[in-house]
Amino acid sequence: MSNFHKFKPTDKMYNVIGRNYSLISVLSRFGLSLGFGEKTVREVCESQNVDCNTFLTVVNFVEEESVGGDFVLELEHISLEALIEYLKQAHSYFLDFSLPAIRQKLCQALDMEPGNNDITETILMFYDKYVEEVRRHMDYEDKYVFTYVKSLLDGNYSGNFNIRNFAEHHDSHIKKKLTELKNIIIKYYPQTQCNNLLNASLFDIFNCEADLQMHCSLEDNVFAPAVAQLEAKIANEAQG
Amino acid sequence: MKHKDNVKIVIAESAPILRTGLTGILKRFSRENFSVTEIANGEALPMFLRLHMPHVLIINPMFQPAQNAAALKKEYPDLRVIAYVSSMIDPKALSDYDAMISIHDEPDDINDKLSTLLFEPEADDDTQDTEQLSSREKEIICYVVKGLTNKSIAEALSISIHTVITHRRNIAKKLQIHSSAGLAIYAIANRLVDLKDIKDNIN
Repeated sequence: MSNFHKFKPTDKMYNVIGRNYSLISVLSRFGLSLGFGEKTVREVCESQNVDCNTFLTVVNFVEEESVGGDFVLELEHISLEALIEYLKQAHSYFLDFSLPAIRQKLCQALDMEPGNNDITETILMFYDKYVEEVRRHMDYEDKYVFTYVKSLLDGNYSGNFNIRNFAEHHDSHIKKKLTELKNIIIKYYPQTQCNNLLNASLFDIFNCEADLQMHCSLEDNVFAPAVAQLEAKIANEAQG
Repeated sequence: MKHKDNVKIVIAESAPILRTGLTGILKRFSRENFSVTEIANGEALPMFLRLHMPHVLIINPMFQPAQNAAALKKEYPDLRVIAYVSSMIDPKALSDYDAMISIHDEPDDINDKLSTLLFEPEADDDTQDTEQLSSREKEIICYVVKGLTNKSIAEALSISIHTVITHRRNIAKKLQIHSSAGLAIYAIANRLVDLKDIKDNIN
């Protein structure tokens, strides 16, 4: 397949970010910092010890998803260790930064509507319950799924779990709940005045929703198939 | 399948323009929530089907390596297989497919074909979005957010559990709220209950 639309190791890092600003978060989850001047993707990755192929696989996936969503199996070159590290960083971004930041802004916005204190309280209760759910979901992945893959990488295949179990049950219910909150606020929140901060919170929720969607989609379409390939390889080696 | 569920569609077609063109059209149907994946490479298809159990496969009958529609449906009984046709083709060759989309189809035709295949016809479809809650439904919301089980609600209102469940399904459909924590916000915003009545049940 031709690669005309894909980013390459020799592209300037600035051009990658300039074309799609949501890639800034990919950069930071790989632990790459800004201030790279005119360096290429490969140079930036090498100077900061990041696996360049894995970085580009994620970058191209995110870029592609915003257009259509091509499912390509060119996963031999990615490093599952690097991908797991990336996914863990993404979890920490949602749990430790993004979701708390949204809560804070939402609180400030709702404080501007003192007549609606009871509603504010129920919205925050909903939100906190939701965050708990996301935390459980991501903890499960950190503790069980990633540990399983790491033991696969060490050549230990126990056979009582496989990535297909994960892929089948990995629905986007954590995204759905956020969608529900957004809908409830838009449809049923009795706003008395123009509240720019509340609107800004909604923008943040929309963004976070898209970000979570992308995250789940990356787990489904890159991580799970790469692990499935590894499982097949180990099973083959065991047989023959 | 009901409306507005997330519908996973996979397009297996080797020609990039045909693939991305169809994706572009599907993404413009806002009524349904389609998530579309494109597959250009024949080896990737079995892996994708196995891992992700999509609802719909739209596939060029000439896609290589050849996929037998009947065999695919046998392996994945819930999968709907639609032929994506770009040239004249013998209709007999398409008898195993659930439907056929031609590259000359208008977007509305494609939408109709998918809707017919995916969604149960709902007689009250046009009205349900704007329909107000009945007083019985509001009553049920109050009980739900106060933490009563379906069984206790049925006893309190002297109706069957089955009826309670039907009411709850209709409430979820009308409001697009599926969790009891979400219903609590609705109930407070519409002054159906007091915060003190429900507080213990949400935490």
